[in-house]
Order: sequence, then structure tokens, then C-alpha cells
Amino acid sequence: MTLADRIESFRRTLEEWLRGLYHGMVTHPAYEKIEKEAEDAEDAFILACFPDAFGIPSPVSYYTAELLPYLENEFEAWERRLWDRESYIERKGQQYHF
Amino acid sequence: MERFVFFGGKGGVGKTTVSCAYAVQSARDGHRTLVVSTDPAHSVTDVFDQPFDDDATPVEGIENLEAMQIDPETEVTRHLDEIRRDLSEQVSAAMVNEINRQLEMAHDTPGAYESALFDRFIEVMRSAEPYDRVVFDTSPTGSTLRLLGLPELLEGWIDRLMYKRRTSIDLFEKAAIGNNEPRRVMDGDPVLARLQERKEFFEFAGATLREEAAFFFVLNPDELSLNETERAVEAMTESGLSVRGLVANRLTPSPDDDEDGRGARYLRERVATEEKRLRRVREEFETPLVAEIETKTSEVKGDLLVEVARALDIETALDAPESA
Repeated sequence: MTLADRIESFRRTLEEWLRGLYHGMVTHPAYEKIEKEAEDAEDAFILACFPDAFGIPSPVSYYTAELLPYLENEFEAWERRLWDRESYIERKGQQYHF
Repeated sequence: MERFVFFGGKGGVGKTTVSCAYAVQSARDGHRTLVVSTDPAHSVTDVFDQPFDDDATPVEGIENLEAMQIDPETEVTRHLDEIRRDLSEQVSAAMVNEINRQLEMAHDTPGAYESALFDRFIEVMRSAEPYDRVVFDTSPTGSTLRLLGLPELLEGWIDRLMYKRRTSIDLFEKAAIGNNEPRRVMDGDPVLARLQERKEFFEFAGATLREEAAFFFVLNPDELSLNETERAVEAMTESGLSVRGLVANRLTPSPDDDEDGRGARYLRERVATEEKRLRRVREEFETPLVAEIETKTSEVKGDLLVEVARALDIETALDAPESA
């Protein structure tokens, strides 16, 4: 293996590592953050649709009930997230993967 | 007078009687009229001595007049069943129970009856093609009339829901990296489509109620009824609906002048108190008093209805189309 080949393979490995690190430390957390934000926005939507689940009367709950058949995934995920969520800091801190 | 005429008021003041009387008058003047009743306690069925249901049926013996009877309970159940049908088509068996709970909760809320009635009213107004005039006898809970003033509020509410939904879908689309499928897609989202449908429904309701509907309140000459009416009129005005007139019902007839028995003295006293209250209505209320109807000794039906109709000083002529 010539020196040139060794340099070439080293550079390739380095590049892969760098890309991996960039993805793991920058890109992925950023997208994860967006996804979390999307989930939060969805939770806010579901809560606004069905506040009576928490005993808050809503003038439109009669109408939002019509959406229920189409909100299966959202509803399930919402309930799961409500169970999992401990505190706001915990939720927002998840992105740092301690 | 507008195409759609609503009669409201506290329970037991005679809304059904007055609405039917007005409908009869309107039909006799040659307008194809439909009277819609929502009151399960006293309804068109009693007034015309003929059973009515959810479908408009001609009233026997009166030309140009049809009647229909809406039962809020049936409406709520129907709404619930429709959603259940969608539910069983769309949702996996495991989630059905979970969602069902939420669904039943929404139909047990105090506003469900009113929402169901409101829905049905708007539907009737939407498909009112065959009639020149539709007369609504609103339910005694009073919230129905209040709800009629709320389309803007509900529309705004739906708007905010749509905004929230769009925000979250937008974020989900942005979060899908590379070839990943986004968890929610904006195009063809059934939830947004349904919200949009509702929004248009409320838009139609708001516009029609503001431009093509007239409201009347029926009251009895007693303190409670007066106060209640004053509040109701205020609430209606606040939500941009003008109350066209008040109908005083169940007035005590005065005795002949030469009578002076116990009964006559009682009647005279009552007439005096009622007159004082009516004066308050005429002077303090901004809405004109359009009819004063004396109390009847028997249930108002048949000829008596025509008599009441004559006492109503509410025009039945239709507004000329605006382009004319």
C-alpha cells in the first residue's frame, strides 16, 4: 500500500467520522427539535379540540367530536405523551440525551 | 319581513302559539310557509292536532302551510351515530374504546342539545328553497337563541384550531429528513378538510342570520318575564342581531265597566298592574311592542289561532329581492 493510498483511506475514514459527528451532533438534534416542536404543537391542537377531557367546557366540543375518527394516531400519541411527560424541563431537555 | 323569522322567549310564555299564529297568517296571505318547532313540551303537534316529525308535512286544512318538529335528543343521537360509523371505518379496534369515551363525553356536555338544534336550524335554512318563509319556534332553554348569536365566535374558534393544525403539520413536514416520510402531510389532511367545512357552515349561518332573519321575543306581563326579555334583547343586540319586536301574550282581559263583583275588581287590579308593566316596555325598551294578546281560556287551536294571528301586528309580506 503506497503512502498515497494510506492517506486516501485515512481521509475517507476521517470524512465518514466527521459526517457522522456532524449528523449526530448538529443535524439530527436539530430535526429532533423540530419534531418535538411539531408534537407539542399537535398536543396543543388536541387539547384545544378536547378540553373537556380535563373538565374544561368548550363551545365547540360537539363539533370537534366529528374529527375524532380521523385523529386516531394523534389521539394515541397524545395520550402516550401525556403519560410519559414528567416536567416541562424534562421534555425540553430530552434533546441533550444525558 | 325577512324570509326567516324566529320567535324566542322564556318557557311557557306562548312561543309556540305565537309562532304558529304568525305562520298561519303568513300562509293565509299566500306565502308558502314552514313552521319549525323544537319544543317537546308544547308543539305544533298540539296546536294543529296532527302528528309531525322531522320531515316537513302539510298542515291539514290550511293551504300553503307545512310544519315540522325537531327533537333535540334525536338530533344528538343521530350526530353521535354518524361519527360512530366513521369511527368504525377509520379506527382500529384497540383505539375505538378510547375514542368512544371522548365521543360520548362531547355529547353529554350541556351545550350538545343547543348545538344539535342550531345545526338543524341552519340545515333547514340551507334547504329552504321550496318556501317563501320559515318560522322558527325556538326551544325554551333560551340558549338556542344565544347560540344563534355565536357563529362568529365559533368561526373564530375553528380558525384557531385550523391554525394550530397547520403549524404542527408544517413542522412535521420539515422534520422529515432525507427520504423519511413525514408523519403528517398537509395535502388532503382530512382533519383540515372537516374544519374547513365547519368554518363554511358557520360563515353561512352568520351571514344568513344577520341579513335574512328577523327575531321576535314573546313575553308575559310579569316582572320576571320582562327582566328576562330585557337581558335577552341586550345579548342579541350585542352579537349583532336586531330584535324586531316584542309580543306581549297572556294579557288579562278587563271586565265590563258596570261590573263590580269580586272577580271584576280582581281583573281590574290585574289589568292596571299589567298596564303599568307594558308602559315600561313601551317607554324603556328600545324594541317596539308589536302585539298584545289577551289570555285565552282554552288551548289555542283552530279558530282561536286565527284570532291570535289577527292580533299580531307583524307584517307577512316578503322583502322584495334586492336587485328589484
